[in-house]
Amino acid sequence: MPEELDRVTVRIRSARVELTALLDEARTARAGRAEAPSADNTAVCAWNHFENIPTFFNWNNRPR
Amino acid sequence: MPSYVVMQPTTLCNLDCRYCYLPFRAEDRRMPVEVAQAVAADVNRWAALGRFSVVWHGGEPMAAGREHLGALMAPFSADVEHHVQTNATLIDDRWCDFFAERQIRVSVSVDGPPERNGDRVDRAGRAGYPKIMKGISALKRHGLPFAALCVVTDPKAGQAAGLYHFFVDLGCDVLGINIEEKEGVNDRENSYRSADVRAFWQELTEVWRKAPQIHLREIEWTLRYVQAVLDGQEGELLPRQLDPIPTVGHDGSVLLLSPELAGFTAPGYGDFSSGNVLHAPLSRLLTDPLGTPWVAEFVQGVEACRSRCPYFGFCGGGHAANRFFEHGRFDGTETEHCRNSKISLLEGVLDHARRA
Repeated sequence: MPEELDRVTVRIRSARVELTALLDEARTARAGRAEAPSADNTAVCAWNHFENIPTFFNWNNRPR
Repeated sequence: MPSYVVMQPTTLCNLDCRYCYLPFRAEDRRMPVEVAQAVAADVNRWAALGRFSVVWHGGEPMAAGREHLGALMAPFSADVEHHVQTNATLIDDRWCDFFAERQIRVSVSVDGPPERNGDRVDRAGRAGYPKIMKGISALKRHGLPFAALCVVTDPKAGQAAGLYHFFVDLGCDVLGINIEEKEGVNDRENSYRSADVRAFWQELTEVWRKAPQIHLREIEWTLRYVQAVLDGQEGELLPRQLDPIPTVGHDGSVLLLSPELAGFTAPGYGDFSSGNVLHAPLSRLLTDPLGTPWVAEFVQGVEACRSRCPYFGFCGGGHAANRFFEHGRFDGTETEHCRNSKISLLEGVLDHARRA
């Protein structure tokens, strides 16, 4: 990837320690909400089915 | 095979929110049952193979009435999940029974405490907030879980904490934050100072982190990407091919991208539809998405984003409707929506992490 296009990922990696702490807390929070990557019966809402699927058009093409 | 489809049971909405993008929200153009039957013919087959959702989206879906909405849902098999995005103002005990009987998942649109709901009004200009809260109270009385969608029209520092606490108190289990978008018939400016928007997202991350009982859509999206980058797997996050999510308009017309385009026409683009389920099966309309000229133009725009934007791995390319309504075409790149809801979001979360 050209250097200019890589600048965001470089900055993310440079904050690994701080972000890892945040990610750990988010993972614990998800468990507290009884959410799991494959769970389909929790976080009951109009969004959770497709919002939890990390696909291009789910992210870009959501209804509002 | 898609995993969900968006359906428009009516164009009508009983509210007249000032930022709404819908062109026919004062007219009750109802979806005929034949349209639902045609969609169900494919959806029931797909739902037998895996999780499948039908999202009833408006107009205000409940403005179609229980009887008609029930008739539209009837052709779908028991395997199909139903979701409703509603302004909540029409929810009462009978609607709650309707939701419970069909295990319908409900998401309400509310912009926070009363002073943040000034744009959510009816056609007489009366505040929608009291009715919204009355409807949400009915959901809670019946023990029905719900998600919430919130439009933020003034993203800046000092706005996020009170907003988040409102939704914690409200009791929603999932929250989506939409920074106001310039789309459809809403031509209000959505150009904000990036420092302000970034500060909003930073504050929201901070307050969410202290009380993360809500699945906050934007934070989850961001953390998913961050995790992938740290794992060296950011290239695996986005699919590599077009994966349309169809919207079926009230008349059966099918849009492959961006429900916000439904009801609009433009020179060179027609009505943006790729066909109509009354004339061809939905499955057939999905077989060649690039055969719809503007979809091919959109994909060119996505590739332009990929080639020049350092946020592409996070975003996947600007939303089709934002491109069209901001640029007048689909092959442009960065939009205000990109800046407000993608770039500043990621930067705000990073700002929080670095300063925490």
